[in-house]
Parts: sequence; structure tokens; C-alpha cells
Amino acid sequence: MAESDDQVLDRYAAGDETAFEELVRRHQKTIYNLAYRMLENHADAADLAQRTFVQAFLHHQSFKRESSFRTWLYQIGMNLCRNAIRDRARRTHEDVHELELADARDIFAETAGTELKNRLGRVIRTLPMRQKEALVLRVYHEHAFTEIGTIMRCSEGAAKANYHHAVDNLRRALAPDEG
Amino acid sequence: MTMTCHEIKDVTVPYLELDLEPSRIRDVTAHLEGCGGCRAEMEAVRQVLVRVKGVAVPDPGDRFWNELPDRVRRDLVREQAMRHGDTVPLRPPGATGAQVKIARWPMALAASVLLFVSAWSLAGLFDQGSAPAPSQPRAVAQGNRLPASEPDLPQLGEAEWHQLWDEDPDMALVEMAAGLDRQAVDRLFRDM
Repeated sequence: MAESDDQVLDRYAAGDETAFEELVRRHQKTIYNLAYRMLENHADAADLAQRTFVQAFLHHQSFKRESSFRTWLYQIGMNLCRNAIRDRARRTHEDVHELELADARDIFAETAGTELKNRLGRVIRTLPMRQKEALVLRVYHEHAFTEIGTIMRCSEGAAKANYHHAVDNLRRALAPDEG
Repeated sequence: MTMTCHEIKDVTVPYLELDLEPSRIRDVTAHLEGCGGCRAEMEAVRQVLVRVKGVAVPDPGDRFWNELPDRVRRDLVREQAMRHGDTVPLRPPGATGAQVKIARWPMALAASVLLFVSAWSLAGLFDQGSAPAPSQPRAVAQGNRLPASEPDLPQLGEAEWHQLWDEDPDMALVEMAAGLDRQAVDRLFRDM
């Protein structure tokens, strides 16, 4: 039976260097994926994934194990994403959403190239941050709302509401007569 | 229970994700069977979700994944060093709080002491050369006698060496080197 994250973390805490690499390898794709969905370019996503793990290992003793290690990594990663998006806005004194439009690579256009996908990408970028977080965690990471609430540090109901508002906004923005 | 179109709108996403009570799902389904508008709306939302899900993240490649753990490790070491002043962690911190670290200043001190001891050892080596012991190359070379005119080991006595070393260490080293050049090197080549 495979070792749990908590068991590997215990080995790391006891000084086992191999445990460090094992934990990073187990979760690096998930965290990079989350960062890419939120920041929409490779350089920022790579940097953020790296910082997420550094923060986790720096503060591993504060991990209370009330949630899974993976959920805890998500929390750290999502916090760093929020900060990164706010920093971008602060640096250029622009509105967060306008900045994202100007700064981020249009991955949606790259992957599809259709007008609808372009619009889809723009709409996702212009969603309020909490709605975008809920959408990314639900659609791309397939979390239950309980876990989304834990990651976003809100109630399950608030997580659901954010997600439903996000889908509703997308639906309205993409409707032929409204988009 | 009969549901209104407004109520259906509120449960569109949970219905599509089967995140409703079974009885509620039956109510929504019953409404949809008789309402073309809600069916169209339901399909539109379903299409949005399908399109959103269809957007993939480009894979940065194996090289990136293989290098990430090392990059994290380097960053972590740098962060830990910054947080703990000028100390360098040697292994992951233990849960027991035990951390093996060596501060940099004792390492610098140890290096200085080592350098000093090495210099003294070197000085001692040449100093011994002025009063050769039986174990010196001279004994080894007995069967291969040097000519009488061959200059011997440095002619300075031990006290003189110490005095020279105290007065002018550089000159003492030059003298030692000169002594080494004259005897040991020549003798070595002759023995060969």
C-alpha cells in the first residue's frame, strides 16, 4: 500500500531528504495546473508552483493535519495566486481585470482560436476573483464544494454560490444576443 | 412538486452536476419535459461547462517536471538561510525541533586555524631539515653518497630559524625553499 502524504511528511520532518522530493513530485502537476489556470502564463505559474512548495516546507510544522496535505498545498497556492494577481494590478496601477486582459497570454485563443473561445477566455479572466477560484477548483480540479470551501477559506454554501455565479456569468456573456 | 421556471434557473448547475437530492432531480426533470425554454437554457449551460472544461493547460515538458524539485530545494535552502541569519541548514528541519546547522563564523575560524597550523607544520618540516634525523632522505641515500662538495641542509640552527621566522617569515620561507631546492630535489633526481 502506498505511503500517505502524512507519512511522507513525517519522514521529511525526521530528516529524510528523499521525502522532500517525493512530496514535490506527487503534487507538482496539480499545483502548477492551478497556478496556470489562475495566472494564465507559464513563467508565473512555474514561479508560483515553486514558491508554493517552498512555503509549505518552510511552514510544515504549522500544518495541523485538519485537512489533507494536498488541500493545504491548494490553500497556500491559492493565496499566492491572489497575491500575485493583486501585485500585478498594484505594479501598473490598473484595474485587476483590465490588467489580466492586457498581461496574460490568451491560452484560450492559442488552444482553439475561435471567436467563442476568445470570448470564453476573456469572460473567465474578467470574473471576480472568488468566482474564478471556485470555477477553477470545481471545473478543472473537480473538488467537492466542502473542499473548495476549505481551500477558499469560506463556507461550503459560499463556495457553491461563487461557482454558480461564475457559470451564470459565463452563460450570459456567451449567449449569442448578449455576448 | 411542480417547480417554476425561476426555481429551475436556480438549480441548473447542480442539476447538471447531479448535486441535488434525488427527489429534486425528479422534479426538475419533470419540469424540463414540459418546458422548452428551460430545456434550451439547460442545454446552453451544459455547453458552456463543456467548453470551459475543454480548455487544456499546455504541458511544460519532462525537463521542467524533473528540475522542479531541485529548484524548490535551492529556493528553500536560500529562504531558510535568510530566515536564520547567516546559518546554512544541512538537512530538513526535524519535527522534534532538532536542526543541524553550522554557523558560518566558526567555519571561517576553523579554516583560519587550519591555515595557521599548516604554515607551522611547513615551517617545522624545514626546521627539522636543519638538524637531520636518521629518517631523513640523507639516511635513505646512504648507499648513494653525495659528493663532499654537495651543499648540506640549511646551516641555520633551530634557534636561528625561530628568530628568522619571527623577524621575517617571508625570508624564512625563501630560505626553506632554497634549502629544499638544493638538497631534496637534487637528491631525489640522483636517487632516481
